[in-house]
Amino acid sequence: MIKISKVEPSVSDRIKGHLNAITTAFVQALKPDRITVEYPRERRRYPDNFRGILIFDKDRCVSCFRCAQICPANAIKMEFYDNYYPSVDYAKCIFCHFCVESCPTGALRSSKVHDVAFKSLDDMYIHTNSMMSIPEIVREEEIEVEYEIEDGKLKLRREVVEKLEVDYERRRLILKKELSSLEVPPPIPVRKRAYCKDPESCLGCRICASVCPRNAIKYDRKKRIMSIDIEKCVGCGFCVRHCPMEILDLKVM
Amino acid sequence: MSLFEIFVSNMMNIPIIKPLIDYLMGVPVIRFIVALILWRPFFAIAIAPGLGALGLYLLWIVYFERKLTARVQWRVGPLEVCRPIRGLIQALADGIRFFFQEVIVHREAHRPYYVQLPILAFIPVLIPIMFIPAGNVVGIKSDYAIQLIVAFLALISITIVVIGWASNSRFAFVGSVREAFMYFAYEVPFVIAVISMIFLYGSGNPYVAVEKQTIPGVFLNPIAFIVYLIAMLMATSRLPFEIPEADQEIAFGPFVEYSGILFGLVMTLAYEKLYIMALLFTILFLGGWSGPYIWIIGDLSHVLWLLLKTVVTISIIVIVRSIYARYRLDQALKLGWSSMLGLSLVGLVLGVGVGWFV
Amino acid sequence: MIDMEYEIKVPVEPPTELKSYFIPIPPEYVEETYRSDDFLVLVGPQHPGSGHMRLIVRVHGDIIREVIPDPGYVHRCVEKVAENRLYIQNIPLVERPSIMDSANLNLGYVRVIEEALDIEVPERARYIRTILAELCRIGTHLYDAAILSVFMGHTTGFMYAFGVRELICEALVRMTGARFTCSFIIPGGVRRNVGSDVLRFIYDMTFEMEKRLKTFEKIFIKNPTVIARLKDVGVLTKEEAIKFGVVGPFLRASGVEYDVRKVEPYEVYDELDWDIPVSDDGDGYSRFLVRVNEISQSINIIRQCVRRIPGGRVISDQICEDGRSIRGHFFDSLANIVLPAGEYTTLTECARGTVVFTIVSDGESNVPYRFRMVTPGWLYLRGFMESLKGERLADLQAIYGSFGYFPPEADR
Repeated sequence: MIKISKVEPSVSDRIKGHLNAITTAFVQALKPDRITVEYPRERRRYPDNFRGILIFDKDRCVSCFRCAQICPANAIKMEFYDNYYPSVDYAKCIFCHFCVESCPTGALRSSKVHDVAFKSLDDMYIHTNSMMSIPEIVREEEIEVEYEIEDGKLKLRREVVEKLEVDYERRRLILKKELSSLEVPPPIPVRKRAYCKDPESCLGCRICASVCPRNAIKYDRKKRIMSIDIEKCVGCGFCVRHCPMEILDLKVM
Repeated sequence: MSLFEIFVSNMMNIPIIKPLIDYLMGVPVIRFIVALILWRPFFAIAIAPGLGALGLYLLWIVYFERKLTARVQWRVGPLEVCRPIRGLIQALADGIRFFFQEVIVHREAHRPYYVQLPILAFIPVLIPIMFIPAGNVVGIKSDYAIQLIVAFLALISITIVVIGWASNSRFAFVGSVREAFMYFAYEVPFVIAVISMIFLYGSGNPYVAVEKQTIPGVFLNPIAFIVYLIAMLMATSRLPFEIPEADQEIAFGPFVEYSGILFGLVMTLAYEKLYIMALLFTILFLGGWSGPYIWIIGDLSHVLWLLLKTVVTISIIVIVRSIYARYRLDQALKLGWSSMLGLSLVGLVLGVGVGWFV
Repeated sequence: MIDMEYEIKVPVEPPTELKSYFIPIPPEYVEETYRSDDFLVLVGPQHPGSGHMRLIVRVHGDIIREVIPDPGYVHRCVEKVAENRLYIQNIPLVERPSIMDSANLNLGYVRVIEEALDIEVPERARYIRTILAELCRIGTHLYDAAILSVFMGHTTGFMYAFGVRELICEALVRMTGARFTCSFIIPGGVRRNVGSDVLRFIYDMTFEMEKRLKTFEKIFIKNPTVIARLKDVGVLTKEEAIKFGVVGPFLRASGVEYDVRKVEPYEVYDELDWDIPVSDDGDGYSRFLVRVNEISQSINIIRQCVRRIPGGRVISDQICEDGRSIRGHFFDSLANIVLPAGEYTTLTECARGTVVFTIVSDGESNVPYRFRMVTPGWLYLRGFMESLKGERLADLQAIYGSFGYFPPEADR
């Protein structure tokens, strides 16, 4: 236990306190310890695990509905395009990225873009067909700032951002290349497949076969069990959630 | 003597533009206007150190205070209004914005006083400007100039109290009471400090005061200097004595209900009081307008030295704002009535004593 | 001599706006106040110095007689909303009441689930959680110091404290991805592994933070005007503090040696070498000094954690086979957890005091049956109101700032 004693400033302590405060202010006025980043002409550099807006890759999605079910704010709803794909309502999204962590194939991923402005509330609902393409981003910064501690002192390292092909007519940088410096590298997908933990307890109710969106579970007449086609199964997990005996599970293959 | 001859007899002497003035004096109609502008009393009141300098000062001090405070606080300050000059015209932009805001006079306010007082409060601010000299450039020469300035400065506090009363609101009432208390606390030591300097120089004439300052007044009577400085902080409601206008405790005190251009006017009231007090401070303690005479600009060199010293004084007052927290009312009153009163009396004795020799 | 009692009838009518129905004081109280020559000041939500709550102050001249708080302005029904969400979806919900202290609230909630399900957390995850909790604790203390300084008119102190807090936010971004409200702690460990370059940055940053805190100390903490404002103001003696249920650093400033991290240690607090600051006089300045000392203790804890952190998994193997990151397995491992029937409670030491989490589960559903969260702000509100009696009206803001009362945390 550290005891903090009573502070009774004497006259000399008070004068010293005044002098200290005044000299500190004068020293700071001459040579300030500023850490200001003059946004938006300068921008902070973010690490790779930064939680920005979501980028969706349609080719990887297996329509497993996990992202919509886990979202704490109910911001993701699945809409039909040629299969069910997520649409995000940024008025509700809290950028917790539970959906990114739930996605088994890495279809949803993060980006370093966080300062988005919409013109109306309806614009904030990004529908599925807009999620398919990479969004348009306009940047105006020339300098990127990073906080660095060197020899025990905080330094702001300012680097000029390489401007790639500015389109002066529409005043924006060319999209795909620009976003590639802003987006986070995609994760390695985790390939999971369904398997039956306990075939003895199977009731034969065939609920798993009826819910599978890819028709990967079939009744094998010869062996008299339900068999799962590993090539067709994408690991969406519907059968796992619907089996009444809870004997199906997902396994990393 | 005709009016024109009166003007010409007391004209300013600025060698650098003398050829232009000589040419313009030959032109028939314009020579009256030029003679009027360069007539010394008119120049002192309207241009410098009078209304023109006051206007420029108001534009400058808002920007300077925000920038200096920001620099101490690890920030940058206003930057965006005109990017190439790093936000220099921020105060002008704010002033123009006030003209476009709606002035709301609420139902319970006492309408005549509420609307007219911020404008009438300028009278006790502008009258002292007539008496402040800068070399030969002066409005009215008088043997009692310093006493008159002090007397007029006292009227401003009364206007603030009445402004708070006219707003008819809970917080304005508390703010007015605090302003009245603070006014009594600083007025007595302030007046005694000025009187001690008058005793030191032997007269209330600013010309005598500056003439006798071979060493600046700071060293002749340092105690009166300290008392005057602290009284300046108390009088203009600057931190650490920002008690009547405490932003966080009573939501801006007497000025809580103002908006629009009236708000702009009441905000500048404290700054103008600071200007007058700083000019008086320069004359009494820093040697007034004395300094190396720059021949090329003639009479304007005195004006320049006076304004320069005032700017230095005001900068020190501004930086104190970022160092201290706000005192409580009873602590400030205790300071005013015990420590400052005692110090000012000691300063009075010192002033009388040194006055025998100087 | 006969003592005669004179009844003074003060012919004052209370103002009409105080009789309207939305102010929660009975009209008889208003009448009685004005008859006894007092004055009611409403320091309301729209006031530069009140935070988000309404305080009804009964003032006699300049001395406060009594303060009636009106909390609930920012009440968002966290406990009821939590009954409709999965256990794992409640993590961002319980973090939000006190956003700069989010790791401690997050930790308390997750520890309830771990206690119910009997999950063993790996060693590296416990160290990372401790670093997160201490970083958020420093952030909250700095935030409250800034609010205290702005309530007293000292804008420089405000800017300095938030400037130092910027370093904390940078450290949190590098660790978790978000500046505050990290949602990084999950049942079984943390969401992702933290690299050694990030730990190096945190270690170096503590030295830079101490240097800037020294400047802050010279201009704010040792400033004579600040000492004059905070000394002997809002005194709570030891008996009063215990009687009114004050928690946290405010209890320690009144002389009681109680800290949940020492009494019932969790995570790695019992393996590290640190101390709790205690003061004997319960005035505003000692409350502030206790928190300043806690900042240096937290920096000490962070440095020890960074030096001693072991390698290994960050997620328990009861939750997920992949021990380095929960990416891809989040839904399958954690979405449908069901707690066994019963009631589970934990105590955690937030920056401002003790926070109590309780979950009652019926054994079958994957949402909580009843969720109870008592934040420290709610617990010390009574002590805060009692300490205001007898002080001047201008001290209201100074005491408010020294307690660091944060209405969203108290109202939930």
